[in-house]
Amino acid sequence: MGHAEKIWLLLIGLTGAGAWLGETGHSSWTLAFVVAGLIALKGRLVIDHYMEMTSAKPRLRRVLYAFLAIVPTMVLVSHGWSDVLRRLTTIN
Amino acid sequence: MTAAPPAPSIARDRLPGNAGIWVGIFCVLVEFLLLFCVYFVAKAHHREAFLTGPDKLATVAGVAITVFLLTSGYCMVKAVEAIRRDERRATLRWVLGAIALGLAYPVIKFFEIRWNVAHGIDGEAGIFYTTYYYLTLNHLVHVTWGLFGLLWVAARTAMGMYSREDYSGLEAAAMYWHTTDTIWLVIFPFFYVLR
Repeated sequence: MGHAEKIWLLLIGLTGAGAWLGETGHSSWTLAFVVAGLIALKGRLVIDHYMEMTSAKPRLRRVLYAFLAIVPTMVLVSHGWSDVLRRLTTIN
Repeated sequence: MTAAPPAPSIARDRLPGNAGIWVGIFCVLVEFLLLFCVYFVAKAHHREAFLTGPDKLATVAGVAITVFLLTSGYCMVKAVEAIRRDERRATLRWVLGAIALGLAYPVIKFFEIRWNVAHGIDGEAGIFYTTYYYLTLNHLVHVTWGLFGLLWVAARTAMGMYSREDYSGLEAAAMYWHTTDTIWLVIFPFFYVLR
């Protein structure tokens, strides 16, 4: 099995794991951490192995990595500090 | 029979595709970051709707879209590998495979929306579903641009316009396609997994 096939299999496996987790239907820190981790890991697999960003210009790579850092952080912040987020985004 | 030439090694610090596609990719990333902010703000203001919302959506549709997009992306990886070996017919087959698998997305979306509407989940069913339609249909629009790009690349591949020395157009389309993959990998858990 080639490298691209292994990455594809890993991505499909992680997708199945995420979907199974969703079916448990509970909101928890564990779920938030796992979802944040899955977004970061799957995104990194696509960016590094499908897009070959490890050999690309560092500036391009940093922008894509920043995207992958911001989104999971937002997942955790919105789970743990939704009251703060609600207060900050309420217009009186 | 002569063996296919080995794929050239990939240079460091390169710009995959071309500069134009990266301007487009950065615009798409910023656009979706803003849309994700809409999602998080709506979620912060309507916790209950976002806790129960995913229960009514068909997770199987989300999983199917993910599998088809990832497999389509894999085909584009193979297409780029093939053109680096100058295997033009194989390149065309991989690009056509990517298009065929990518076309499954709008088809699944059509049946998903039909199923949703039959179960009372339309754009006015609540804030969670409004946000869901807003983000997923916006993503579908970007995938549609990507599919047009892949069709263009398939036509140019069929005309023999790419070679192992010049395949930047093909690689640019692959970069955009993988970007839509990456964004879907965020959208999928937002609406089908996360509570």
